[in-house]
Amino acid sequence: MATTLLPDEFESGVASRTGSGEGRLRGLHRAFAPLIAVRGLPRWLFWTGATITLFFVVLAVFAPEIAPYGFNQYIAHGIRFPQQASPSGAHWLGTTVVSEDVYSRVIFGARTSIEVVVLALMFSVVIGVPLGLVSGYFGGWLDRLLVLINDSIFAFPYLLLAIVIAFLLSTSVGGGVLTAAIAITVVYIPQYFRVVRNTVLSVREEPYVEAGRALGAKPRTVIRRYVFANVVHSVPVVASLNAADAILTLAGLSFLGIGMDPSVAAEWGYDISRGVSDAQAGFWWTGLFPGLAVILLVTGLTLVGEGINDTFNPLLRRPNHRRFAMPKDVREVTTVAVETEHAVVRVRDLRVWYATDRGPVRAVDGVSFEIQERETLGLVGESGSGKSTLGRGIMGLLPVGAIRDGSVDFEGRDLVKATPQEMRRLRGPSIGLVFQEPMTRLDPLMRISDHFAEALHTHEPDISDAEIRRRSLEALGGVRIPPTRFRNYPYEFSGGMRQRIMIALALVLKPRFVIADEPTTALDVLVEAQILSIIADLKNNFDTALLLITHNLGIVAESCDRVAVMYAGRIVEQGAVVDIFSRPEHPYTQELMRSTISLSTRKLHYIPGAPPDLVAPPSGCRFHPRCPYAMEVCRAKEPVGVEVRPSHLAECWLHGPENEIPPDGRRPLEREEIGIADEA
Amino acid sequence: MSSSKGSLRGYIITRLILVIPMVFILLTLVFLLMRVAPGNPILAALGGHLSPAQLAVRERIGGYDKSLIVQYGEYLKQVVTGHLGTTLTDHRPLTQVIAQNGAATLELTVAAMFVALIVGVPLGMLAGRRRDSWLDTGARVFGIVIYAAPVFFLGLLAQLLFGHILNWLPTSSESGVLVQANLTPHTNILIIDAMIDGQWGDIPDLLAHLVLPAATLGLVISGVILRLVRVNVIQTMKGDYIEAARARGLKERSVVVRHAFRNALVPIVTVTGLQAALLLSGAVLTEETFNWPGIGSELIFYLEARDYIAVQGIITVFALAVVAISLLIDLINAWIDPRVRY
Repeated sequence: MATTLLPDEFESGVASRTGSGEGRLRGLHRAFAPLIAVRGLPRWLFWTGATITLFFVVLAVFAPEIAPYGFNQYIAHGIRFPQQASPSGAHWLGTTVVSEDVYSRVIFGARTSIEVVVLALMFSVVIGVPLGLVSGYFGGWLDRLLVLINDSIFAFPYLLLAIVIAFLLSTSVGGGVLTAAIAITVVYIPQYFRVVRNTVLSVREEPYVEAGRALGAKPRTVIRRYVFANVVHSVPVVASLNAADAILTLAGLSFLGIGMDPSVAAEWGYDISRGVSDAQAGFWWTGLFPGLAVILLVTGLTLVGEGINDTFNPLLRRPNHRRFAMPKDVREVTTVAVETEHAVVRVRDLRVWYATDRGPVRAVDGVSFEIQERETLGLVGESGSGKSTLGRGIMGLLPVGAIRDGSVDFEGRDLVKATPQEMRRLRGPSIGLVFQEPMTRLDPLMRISDHFAEALHTHEPDISDAEIRRRSLEALGGVRIPPTRFRNYPYEFSGGMRQRIMIALALVLKPRFVIADEPTTALDVLVEAQILSIIADLKNNFDTALLLITHNLGIVAESCDRVAVMYAGRIVEQGAVVDIFSRPEHPYTQELMRSTISLSTRKLHYIPGAPPDLVAPPSGCRFHPRCPYAMEVCRAKEPVGVEVRPSHLAECWLHGPENEIPPDGRRPLEREEIGIADEA
Repeated sequence: MSSSKGSLRGYIITRLILVIPMVFILLTLVFLLMRVAPGNPILAALGGHLSPAQLAVRERIGGYDKSLIVQYGEYLKQVVTGHLGTTLTDHRPLTQVIAQNGAATLELTVAAMFVALIVGVPLGMLAGRRRDSWLDTGARVFGIVIYAAPVFFLGLLAQLLFGHILNWLPTSSESGVLVQANLTPHTNILIIDAMIDGQWGDIPDLLAHLVLPAATLGLVISGVILRLVRVNVIQTMKGDYIEAARARGLKERSVVVRHAFRNALVPIVTVTGLQAALLLSGAVLTEETFNWPGIGSELIFYLEARDYIAVQGIITVFALAVVAISLLIDLINAWIDPRVRY
């Protein structure tokens, strides 16, 4: 069986790392270092495959030393071997119809296979790689012609191609290793051509190559490094998979009696073809062992390719997350929230931690808040402060390995303790989620109408088609999408329209609580205003509670009732929008306010330092390394929520409580510590 | 709605026009391949059997004394008009070879593809869904090992087990001798011919003959399908619209089947189409193993007879089949994915 197993998993994921410029050897070493470091299945795949392959290479190289007899030897010490003898001490794997030793033939078969494969790979790399480079680098009509020819050969049943070439060569030159290798080579050239050409083409369009060009760097240097780095990863994958295919192709040719002259060398495929007739007479051993040898070697080579691919393909790489358990008593102090009367949702001490290979990331680490009917709570903070995770955490839409703790009280039930089944039923009709990137959130293969029908059917199984249509069009009308577009596909809409459709899709189920995760970030300013007014209208029409996640303070000022400021997994300040905007009490909020740009902005303000690493957050107050007013206590103790004014909470030692601050606690922190944090 | 149908029609027309250069290139390759051999087809096939004078006459009739360019033109004309000539050795019209043996190959490959999909798609979906579980690892190992097995070796094992040890199934040929004699050819696909004439009693015999070859070839290809489905399901499960579907509270089953799998289908169909080469190559070996009277066995037969005209004709058919399959695949994709029609 000869195939060109398309390196399917490989093609989409050519690693995009630039190799070291100095010295190919060092580059190679660095390029393959991950193979040594990788853990888990890829490592197992690679090393099992490498061991099997190495085993056969040793067999091939030392065949005359290992095999007890020659591949076509049927007589030793003047005594003829028995015919078709079953496996025994004298002939471990039995003998063939012409008295050859099967064991020796299997070993010499390894030699033939490896010889053919090495030659074929050398030929196809030597021809395919330069062709690919030329084609990709120069482009134009030459490229188009080569690609066309290449695609045609690639699409053609390669075994047929190899059969005809091998046949023509063996009638003119004679059968043997070289003939078989050439016949197989033709089949594999297209693959190297493709990989190299596509790499060169893609690098020509890489933004950083363009950027380098703009900066006056020689694009050729960049291309050379990049192509080297990619080819160095992709050629071994293609080569090991090709080698596996080549073994099968060779076996197939020999099975058909083409290419290899059986008097020149032992070949597994040829032995299997003889084994077919033997087997029918009950002599199973002549075909079985060569067949197992093919399977083993091909498996080995495939595993090598898969292992390399799993290691380097960023799409398949999966970090080895260490499992963890959330400690039950991380904080002595529970967080407080502004209490409201008609709360739709009450979040208490919610923590969401992610597993990574460095340990748990404390993305949300103890937050409490409430939202009332018809109220909008704005959740603001820098990127990476845990805003989106908080939204997902409430919905229970978390990746594998994430852990939640605390409580989310919604209509009398705790969402943290709800079963996945209960959560699923709540998602949609009770809690809606509007996402940040509207372009990719609709299923590209489904009509808008089908999206609505599916959502309505799931939660209201008895709904009629007419009712689906009526309610969907009503919801779409609310976001100003005309009924004529109802049966269109997502690709027929602009980003702003898709976001409106997403909103309609969330609201058609009339949820009591909507989480909007940066719903306008990907859109332009005019569309943003439109979307925000739609959200505001709908909230008032449906008595919905809204959590609006954003990093844009302008949006908060415009469309929120209250605001919660998040920093490094904590809500550091919350209160009414007017109150917090006029008198921010937490130094982080103050800094955040100063960073906004207005018409009177003369000089951009930024907060020194970077958001902290949430695997190992700073001790005490997480903002203390960047805080201009940091005190001794801020480093030592976690701050407590303090009601600085009615319904206005801040977690900051500047506001006390005094009885928790140790005697020397108010002494300012040394400045250099802030400097160090800034460096980081 | 009418607009999308209109663009589908437009797409089909564009795609059909693109077939022409591909056919042209493949035909040119076939011609060049068959003419790099030294001498001419007449000499290769009949040299030694006929006197030099007779050979010369045959060469003139066949047009092999003309220049290569002229022969190339005539070859193209033959293909376009559908008159592929007759074989040199046994004077069979090639159209007849294609109709009779091609039908057997079609039956085998369609049945094998059916087996491959039935096995590969569900296993691949399961493996992709439960990534890194024991089931996934097991499915991956199955995919790799089954693919590593030469199809003729699997065939040998199947013949041994089901034919000789258990004696359940026939291991050779397309039908029993009596059944073959009873059937009148309409389509040359024996099962369909039996149905047309209402000879239902013959169907079990025909199916029994089909089981082992189709299962053997199908299993090997299922390894590739499995890997393909697995990796594409893994990738589509990461899609933003999957998270959005979950956020609307859809059942996990519909998330996987309706959204993830349907979206994975586009690359799956595309690459399965590329595996047509794998299928046809495998068919040649399977036919040899099971004495299946397909066009692949005929190819080997005529190769050994050095009947290059027959070989050229058969390879031409394979080339056309490849083009037809790739066309079919693109049309299926256009049907699944509205964006392709653009």
